[in-house]
Amino acid sequence: MRTEILPNGAFHSALVHLGPGDAFQSDSGAMFRASSNIDIDVTTRPKRGGGGGLLAGVKRLLGGDSFFLSTYRTTDDGEGEVGLSPTLQGQVELIRLDGSASWLCAGGSYLGSDADLALDLRFQGLKGLFGGENLFFVEVSGSGELLVNAYGRISEVPVDGELIVDSGHVVAFESSLSYRLSKTGSSWVHSFLAGEGIVMRFSGRGRLFVQSHNPKEFGSRLGKHLPPRRQ
Amino acid sequence: MEHQILGNPDYGELAVRLASGEKILIESGAMSRVSPELELKTRTLGGVLPAMGRKLFGGESFFVGEYSGPMGGELALSPSLPGTVLHRRLDGDALYLTAACFLACTPGVRLRTRFGGLRALFSSEGAFLLRAEGQGELYFNAYGAVVERDLDGEMTVDTGHAVAWEPGIEYTIGGMGGIKSTLFSGEGLTMRFRGSGKLWLQTRNLPATAGWLSPFCVG
Repeated sequence: MRTEILPNGAFHSALVHLGPGDAFQSDSGAMFRASSNIDIDVTTRPKRGGGGGLLAGVKRLLGGDSFFLSTYRTTDDGEGEVGLSPTLQGQVELIRLDGSASWLCAGGSYLGSDADLALDLRFQGLKGLFGGENLFFVEVSGSGELLVNAYGRISEVPVDGELIVDSGHVVAFESSLSYRLSKTGSSWVHSFLAGEGIVMRFSGRGRLFVQSHNPKEFGSRLGKHLPPRRQ
Repeated sequence: MEHQILGNPDYGELAVRLASGEKILIESGAMSRVSPELELKTRTLGGVLPAMGRKLFGGESFFVGEYSGPMGGELALSPSLPGTVLHRRLDGDALYLTAACFLACTPGVRLRTRFGGLRALFSSEGAFLLRAEGQGELYFNAYGAVVERDLDGEMTVDTGHAVAWEPGIEYTIGGMGGIKSTLFSGEGLTMRFRGSGKLWLQTRNLPATAGWLSPFCVG
């Protein structure tokens, strides 16, 4: 199996090449093209790990991803390919897991992964409720390839010590990093008045991917020009 | 202070490294990441009353954030709209900005609010203008790509596309042609810029994006 990222300006997509016996899973609805020998199996259950079943589906929904996962395999003994396109306008990044550390993907940033990788949902509890964006993180572990997508550009920010990140900019991070909800600077009042509110304070040592733009900020600018939602 | 603009023209963002004691003022909510050594305070942009006016009538933010620290530190800023981040060093000169285009500045830059005139009644974007002057760095952003023009004479611009211009340029509000073309051409109100100096325009217009998107926003 080989995963390729096709960069086209601000609109990245991914192409997964599958050999006989390979399997790859993605957020359902992410597939936009496939060769004719690809079989798609839709499930609410991650292949390994996690509780599976309906509950896992509900949890995925709350995590910002869609209810279902699609798994792709070739039906003959030949090679096949699947093209994946994210909903978001932005970059796709490939993360290679070697089994030593698991990764946490925020909100809708999970795009797809090698079916050998285990997926689970980590409930963030109160942190998730107050953080405003992510009630659940998708935890990915094992060894294989993981695709994440983002709104805007993705940058890798190595953390060694502490770093404050607005929760709307977090894409994925290594589980060796821990975080707590915090304020920017030393005063809650200033943090809220300056429009930053609650942010994530990462600590430890590990890799972190952030996105250049914040969907919530874009939404609040755009929303002022949209007609009110019907009740 | 060192800065780096990354990701232009589609997803521009600004990364800044502050030395000990240096300060930067940033648009509300624009911080994407910051080193924990930096302290945050809030300031009103261009004084309390103008800030209140902008908040009430223009929906702009009342406060801006001021970051600084005794040891310095790094922060990254991103505009709320995808597009281009621009930098201009002011050295005693001035620049007019539509208020929604402001991203950040150093404290040597004084910002004053100007009411955008008739525009405010018809365009919810940029009802207010900022006049930036003084000494320091100014960062602003545009929705989409940027068209920079050296104006010497006149130019007509759709109100949703003006970003910034130098004080040698004046403008009036008008329709495009007669009332019929204003109503039916979809161009709405226009700004007629006159004079000489630099003029920055953005290639996308937020109310237009919203107008296109809104029929699809059901439920």
